[in-house]
Amino acid sequence: MSQGDSGTSESRTVGTTSQTISRRGYLAGAGAVGAAALAGCAGGEDDDTLTVGFALPYTGTYAMLGESITNGFELYIDEHDGEVNGREVEFVERDTEADTNRGVDVTRELLVEYQADAIVGPVSSAVAMAMIDTVQSEANSIWFNANAGDYRVTQDGCTPYHFRTSFNDWQTSAPLAEFVYDEVADNVCLAYADYAFGVNSKDFFAEEFEDLGGEVVDEVGAPLGTDDYSSYLGQIEDSGAEAVFSFFAGDDAVNYVNQFSDFGLDEEMTQTGSGFLLSGDTLPAQGDSALGMYSLLHYADTLDTDRNQTFYDAYADAYGEGPNVYACQGYDSAQAFAAAVEETGSSDADDLIPALEGLQIDSPRGPLAFNSETHDPVHNLYVREVVEGDDGPENEVIETFEDIEGPTWGCSL
Amino acid sequence: MLEVFIRSTFLGLQLGMTFALIAAGLTLIFGMMDVINFAHGALYMLGAYFGTVIAGTFGNYWLALLLAPLFVGLIGAAIEIFSLRPLYGRNPLYHILLTFGFAIAIQGAIVLIFGGQSRRIDVPTVLEGTIQVGPVTYPVYWLFVLIVSTVLIALIWIGIERSNLGILMRASAHDTEMVNALGIDVNKVFTGVFVFGAILAGIAGVLLGGSRSVHPGMGMGIIIEAFVIVVIGGLGSFRGAVYAALLVGLVTAYGSVIAPTLTELFLFAMMAIVLIIKPSGLFGATEAA
Repeated sequence: MSQGDSGTSESRTVGTTSQTISRRGYLAGAGAVGAAALAGCAGGEDDDTLTVGFALPYTGTYAMLGESITNGFELYIDEHDGEVNGREVEFVERDTEADTNRGVDVTRELLVEYQADAIVGPVSSAVAMAMIDTVQSEANSIWFNANAGDYRVTQDGCTPYHFRTSFNDWQTSAPLAEFVYDEVADNVCLAYADYAFGVNSKDFFAEEFEDLGGEVVDEVGAPLGTDDYSSYLGQIEDSGAEAVFSFFAGDDAVNYVNQFSDFGLDEEMTQTGSGFLLSGDTLPAQGDSALGMYSLLHYADTLDTDRNQTFYDAYADAYGEGPNVYACQGYDSAQAFAAAVEETGSSDADDLIPALEGLQIDSPRGPLAFNSETHDPVHNLYVREVVEGDDGPENEVIETFEDIEGPTWGCSL
Repeated sequence: MLEVFIRSTFLGLQLGMTFALIAAGLTLIFGMMDVINFAHGALYMLGAYFGTVIAGTFGNYWLALLLAPLFVGLIGAAIEIFSLRPLYGRNPLYHILLTFGFAIAIQGAIVLIFGGQSRRIDVPTVLEGTIQVGPVTYPVYWLFVLIVSTVLIALIWIGIERSNLGILMRASAHDTEMVNALGIDVNKVFTGVFVFGAILAGIAGVLLGGSRSVHPGMGMGIIIEAFVIVVIGGLGSFRGAVYAALLVGLVTAYGSVIAPTLTELFLFAMMAIVLIIKPSGLFGATEAA
C-alpha cells in the first residue's frame, strides 16, 4: 500500500469536474455571481457579534459545493434566530475560486482583517493544505474543514485549530471492502480517476479488501476529466472481475456510470464505489444507469431518522431543494461551533478546542464526534444502494457501520 | 487484443466525426471571415443545454435534435449581426476578445440559469441497449452518433464542393470585393456561414449530450481539441478539419488504451510536429474551403 503514490498528481477535491481551463482568468468575468460581499461591517473583537468567515469557492465548477456548505451553515444559525449564546452571528463570504493562492489570501483576510471567530471551508484539499500554515500562525480561530477530505490534511496539518466536519478519504472507501467481500464478490477490479483523491481511495479500499482475503485482479486509472470511458470500460470488462470498486466524482462520475451501463457492463459485474460516485448531485444525471449500484458515504438524504427528516424539510423549505452531503457538512460545522460557544461562553479558540474535542453532535448524518488525536470526524458510514424512488433513482441505506474513525496518520494532538 | 482495437477504432471514428462537426464550423468561419471564434465551444454547450430542456419538456429526443441546433443558430445570427459585423476589417484581436467575452458570458448565464449540476439528454428507447459488432459489444446510441455525424459531414463536403452555395462561399472568402461587385451581398453570406457553423456545433452538442454529461465546463473543454484539429488540418480548410478530426479522434481513442495520461500530450505533440513540417497545416495555405 503506497500512500506516497498520490504525491505525483495535484490534489483536487471530491465532487468536482476538471476542465483544462485557466480558471482564474476565465472566471474573472463569470464571477461576481455568487459572492455577495458583506463589506462595511467588519466585526471587531470588542463588540458582541460572532463572526464566521467562509473560505469557499462561489464561482466555477466548485460553486455548487461552496453554496451548499454556506446554506447548511446559515440554516442552523437561522433556526436559532441568528444568534449563538445570545450573540448575533455575522457571516463573511470570501471566494477561494478553488485556487490555492486565493485560498491563503482569503484565509488571512478573514483571520486578520475580520477577526473571524471561526473559519469554514474550503472545498478543495489542495487549498486546505495551503491554508494550514496561515491558520496555525494566526492561532486565533477555529477552522471547520467542511469538505477537504485528503488524509494528508490531517497528516501534514496536524494542528489543534483544525476540526474536520466532513470526512477523510479512508472513511469513504476502506470500510466498503468488508461489505463487498461479504456480500458481493471476492475479486474486484479497481477503477479510479487518476489524481490524489482517486489514488488514495482505491489504495485504501484495496488494502482493506486484500486483508480480508479478497483479490484485486486489475486496476484502471483514467485521467481526471475524461469524457469517454469506453476504452477503460473495455479493460475493466477484460479483467473478468465480478465487481468493480470505483472512485469518480462530479461529471466524471456521471460519464463513467452512464457509459458503464451504456456498454452493458452493469449486467456482467456489480458496480461499487465511494459515495461520490453516486451522490445527490450526480444521481439526477445518472438516472436509471445507476440502479443497483452500491456506494459508501457518511450521509444519505434518504437516511430514515427523525433528525434527518427535520433537517431535510427545513433545508428544502429554505432553499427549494433537498440537502446534499455538503449542506450537511456545513450544517454540522454550525452545530459544532454553536455547541462549543454555548458550553464555554467564549469564542476564544483556546477555550473552544477542548470543548469541541468532547462534543457529541446530533447530526443529520447520525452521531458525530471528533477524534481527540486528529480532530477527524468519528461518525457512521452508510452502504447505499441505488433504488427506484418516487422521483427517480435514490440512495437507500442498506447497511450502517457505526462510529468509524480510521488511522491517525501520525497525528497526535 | 483485437477486441480492444476494434472498440477503440469505433470510438475514435465516432469522436473524430463529432469533432469534425465542431471543427467544421470553426474552420469555415475562420476561412471566410478571418474570425477566430472562441465562442464556438459555448455554442456547442448551448446546443446540449437546449437539448436537455427540449427533451426534458416534451420527452422527445428527436424534437431536441431538430430544434436545439436551430435555436443555437438564432443566437449565432444575433452574435454575428450585432457584434462581429461592425468589427470586420479591424485587427483580428478585436474578434478574439469579443468572442472570448461571449464564451464567458454564455457560461455565466448557463450557471445562473441551470446551476452547476450535470445533466443528461435522455436517449429514446430505440437507441438504448447494445449491439454486437464482431467480437465487440457497442452501445446502439454511440453507433447512431457515428452514423449521423458521418452522413452530415459527407453532405456538407459534397455541398461545399458541388453546390452553387458552396462555390459562392468559397468565392466570398477568396475575393470579397469581386463577389460584392457582382451584386451579391457578402454580409448575408457571412451571416449564413456563421449561423451554419453554430448549427453544426449545436447538433454536436445534442448528439454528445446523450452519451456525456452536460455541464457548464463542456464548452471550454471541447474548444481546445477543436483548435488543435483546425490547426493540424490547416486554418480555414474544411477537408483538413475532417481529416485532422479523424486523426485526433483515433489518437485519443488508441492513446487512452496505450498511455491514458499521455493522450493529451500526444495531441499537442502531433500539432507541434505538423506545424514544424508544414506550418500552414496539412491542408492549409491558400485553400479557402
